[in-house]
Amino acid sequence: MALSGAVPPRGSAAAAASMRRRRTTSSGASGGAAGTMLQFYTDDAPGLKISPNVVLVMSIGFIAFVAVLHVMGKLYFV
Amino acid sequence: MGGGFRVLHLVRPFLSFLPEVQSADRKVPFREKVIYTVIALFIFLVCSQLPLYGIHSTTGADPFYWMRVILASNRGTVMELGITPIVTSGLVMQLLAGSKIIEVDNNVREDRALLNGAQKLLGILIAIGEAVAYVLSGMYGSVGQLGVGNAILIIIQLCFAGIIVICLDELLQKGYGLGSGISLFIATNICENIIWKAFSPTTINSGRGAEFEGAVIALFHLLITRTDKVRALREAFYRQNLPNVTNLLATVLIFLIVIYFQGFRVVLPVRSKNARGQQGSYPIKLFYTSNMPIILQSALVSNLYFISQLLYRKYSGNFIVNLLGKWKESEYSGGQFVPVGGLAYYITAPSSLADMAANPFHALFYLVFMLSACALFSKTWIEVSGSSAKDVAKQLKEQQMVMPGHREANLQKELNRYIPTAAAFGGMCIGALTVLADFMGAIGSGTGILLAVTIIYQYFETFEKERASELGFFGF
Repeated sequence: MALSGAVPPRGSAAAAASMRRRRTTSSGASGGAAGTMLQFYTDDAPGLKISPNVVLVMSIGFIAFVAVLHVMGKLYFV
Repeated sequence: MGGGFRVLHLVRPFLSFLPEVQSADRKVPFREKVIYTVIALFIFLVCSQLPLYGIHSTTGADPFYWMRVILASNRGTVMELGITPIVTSGLVMQLLAGSKIIEVDNNVREDRALLNGAQKLLGILIAIGEAVAYVLSGMYGSVGQLGVGNAILIIIQLCFAGIIVICLDELLQKGYGLGSGISLFIATNICENIIWKAFSPTTINSGRGAEFEGAVIALFHLLITRTDKVRALREAFYRQNLPNVTNLLATVLIFLIVIYFQGFRVVLPVRSKNARGQQGSYPIKLFYTSNMPIILQSALVSNLYFISQLLYRKYSGNFIVNLLGKWKESEYSGGQFVPVGGLAYYITAPSSLADMAANPFHALFYLVFMLSACALFSKTWIEVSGSSAKDVAKQLKEQQMVMPGHREANLQKELNRYIPTAAAFGGMCIGALTVLADFMGAIGSGTGILLAVTIIYQYFETFEKERASELGFFGF
């Protein structure tokens, strides 16, 4: 079907993800219901793939952007 | 699958635009996990100190004051929204999926992906919606004062911060870090608050000369400067309206009590069916649902406060509105509204022991409300989250585990003897501890401390587990 076409073929990553999921369920079994709401994304979804370092760089870039805005605001617009 | 229209499929067109952190295709070493966690935490801390650019003022009453603790948000900073978008979207999705309004088959990969996508999309939409609402409602000064350019800049900053929090949370959850971003941020926010109240070097002039805000600093300051040491000591321990040493000691005591109770558990022996001789155990903790009851309880209460405050400001003469809550500006915490009557008053913790003695009915009502709400939420939560006796029995069956001395069909019945009791009683204990913390005047509200301790304890457990697995790995 067209549906399966939307999912990028990722053999190893998918396998790793499902393996990790199984492990989490078995460890969850011993922990109780703790923090189930607080675990949203444990799965793979197709989307704009970004690596963890990109996230970090993006956040630091954002912080820098706001800081620069403050500096510019102080220097030019007052 | 297929067959008719499904709400979940509406998300599919957006799926390819949503940012998505790659899952780790290798096992991330423990050291690296710690580093990622620390960097994420650092980013969060910087964001929660960095003021928003372009805001005009943040003075005046803060309608979200009561929610800030559980939402890890800081007023007037880039983290204004905190984790609200994720938590709200997560709760909504859980409720929708739990009540079968949207059908999700957890065994189908695509469904899970769509649900995750939907959660993230909803989170981003909530962030945008809230940012627009904040700016338009004039929380930073009216739009005319700000100018359209600045208003748009504020909205962009808030939205981007929301997206960053979502990404950081996902980064930590996908196996690059320890635990989840949300709980990390909540715990950090509360701990920061406690440390600040204990060691804050700012001075406040409250009519009796300058006093230090931090309890410990104030203790030493008073002991050194005052000539009458006994009175200085009494002042440091019992001063009102600023954090005092008793508050600090109460906080430490609550920490210790909660950690002591975390160890309480019933261990059920289980045995593998196909691998003979493989013994295991299934511990059922006293705090079976951990901090969920108080998260839900405080979400309920803070929403009620919010609605009641809004209504009271608009229609303060109305009988029903007054029944819901009467509000008054507090003298101490700068323009903050506190409940003085109606339902909102009775579900608020008494501010001190003296207050408790003066209004015993208030204290009693508060106690009963907290205990029953926590027990009830705890019992509901095990059903919603899939950790009820039935689900656990199914899980154990899938893992081919049986209880020795019981037939397989009896497993659920046996679990049913413990799990609902543990959930209800554990919830009640959590509620009782929250009340105790509030009565003793612990720093940062009972709810906050309970949240922080349970989260830190969970972290400690994952930390140990990770380390153990790492050692096991090297041991091979």
